[in-house]
Amino acid sequence: MASRKQEKEQRRQERLEAEQAAAGEQRRKKLLTVVGATVLAALLVLVVLIVVNQSEDEGGGDASSINADIPVIGVLDSLDQQGLAVGDPAAKVTISEFGDLQCPVCKQFSETVVPALLAKSGPVGAGDAQLDFQQFVIIGPESEVAARAALAASEQDRYWQFIEIFYANQGTENSGYVTDEFLTGVAEAAGVEDIDAWNTSRADPKWDAVLAQTQSDASKAGFTGTPSVLVSGPGGEKIVGAVPDPDAIAKAVDEVS
Amino acid sequence: MSEARLRIAGAVLALIGLGIATYLTIVHYDGGDPLCLAGGHGCATVQESDYAEMAGLPVPVIGLFGYLTVLLAAALPGDAGRILGLFAAVIGFGFSLYLTYLELFVIDAICQWCVGSAVVMTLTFVVALTRALRFTGASPNPPGQVPAAD
Repeated sequence: MASRKQEKEQRRQERLEAEQAAAGEQRRKKLLTVVGATVLAALLVLVVLIVVNQSEDEGGGDASSINADIPVIGVLDSLDQQGLAVGDPAAKVTISEFGDLQCPVCKQFSETVVPALLAKSGPVGAGDAQLDFQQFVIIGPESEVAARAALAASEQDRYWQFIEIFYANQGTENSGYVTDEFLTGVAEAAGVEDIDAWNTSRADPKWDAVLAQTQSDASKAGFTGTPSVLVSGPGGEKIVGAVPDPDAIAKAVDEVS
Repeated sequence: MSEARLRIAGAVLALIGLGIATYLTIVHYDGGDPLCLAGGHGCATVQESDYAEMAGLPVPVIGLFGYLTVLLAAALPGDAGRILGLFAAVIGFGFSLYLTYLELFVIDAICQWCVGSAVVMTLTFVVALTRALRFTGASPNPPGQVPAAD
């Protein structure tokens, strides 16, 4: 009798264990399905978010349609321009923008802050300061190619027009858009008349020293990002924040005058 | 760790994240620059960049929605909370990775507030994944009671 009872108990135990194992297996399957589906759905949403964002950023960098229709060009044409600086050469204060032509924040700076500085009410337009652009190459090899092309345009006094038109047509960083065709299009739109001379100049190793000097100056000023602004005059030097507003720069101009 | 503790950890992380996102949202609409430690100006650069808004929404506002969802998931018992938490954390963690990539390689500036948020989101992801893997399918338990894990 005892043995029959034991067998019955054993069978019950085995059945229970089998049921528990089946329930455990079912739970694991549910867990894998639910967690897997959740992660997949979340990844899908994430990919859509990033793709939408990336497609918003595309545009520009098109060598076949360079846009030169920007109001600041007319203002630049009306101001003195020598070398890297625009503005009255007699002005005692210099506003130096350390920028990278591939940098999207510098593009914003060129579209908002630069026009305000060049306006008649701004420090450059009023003749209180000159504005120069130091080619602070930080983003990639294409930035250096672009910087040399801009520096070469300075020899024909079209430096600032080149910079502003480059920014107006800027593409995605390091995407390969800074081609000879693109740069030539920007140079022509900027009013560089002797394209052959400009081509010879931008290949000249003399710009190495200019670029190295800018890196050194930026390092001394403690700049690590672009755009950064340094205002210098008889009253000393003043470093303005990374994304300064025109009023902060005008204030710095007053302080070092 | 019990599910109750994981839910509390999720809620605390969500509250820290909400604090960061709220501050950056206020700064965004106020037009000022976020305060950076040691006088750095990376926060201003990031805040002013092309990437400060996505699909017309400021990134800090997206963060607000994200952390509110994480908070809601921590408050919800059972599989609903576990799955919602995992869903929000995977998106939040992936989005943080993407934003950090943009800071390092595209914008070329690091914002300490964004790094802080990325760390919070990474911890949130770990908490949410642990909660989902250990407890999905188990019945919700009153706080303090440890449900049977596999």
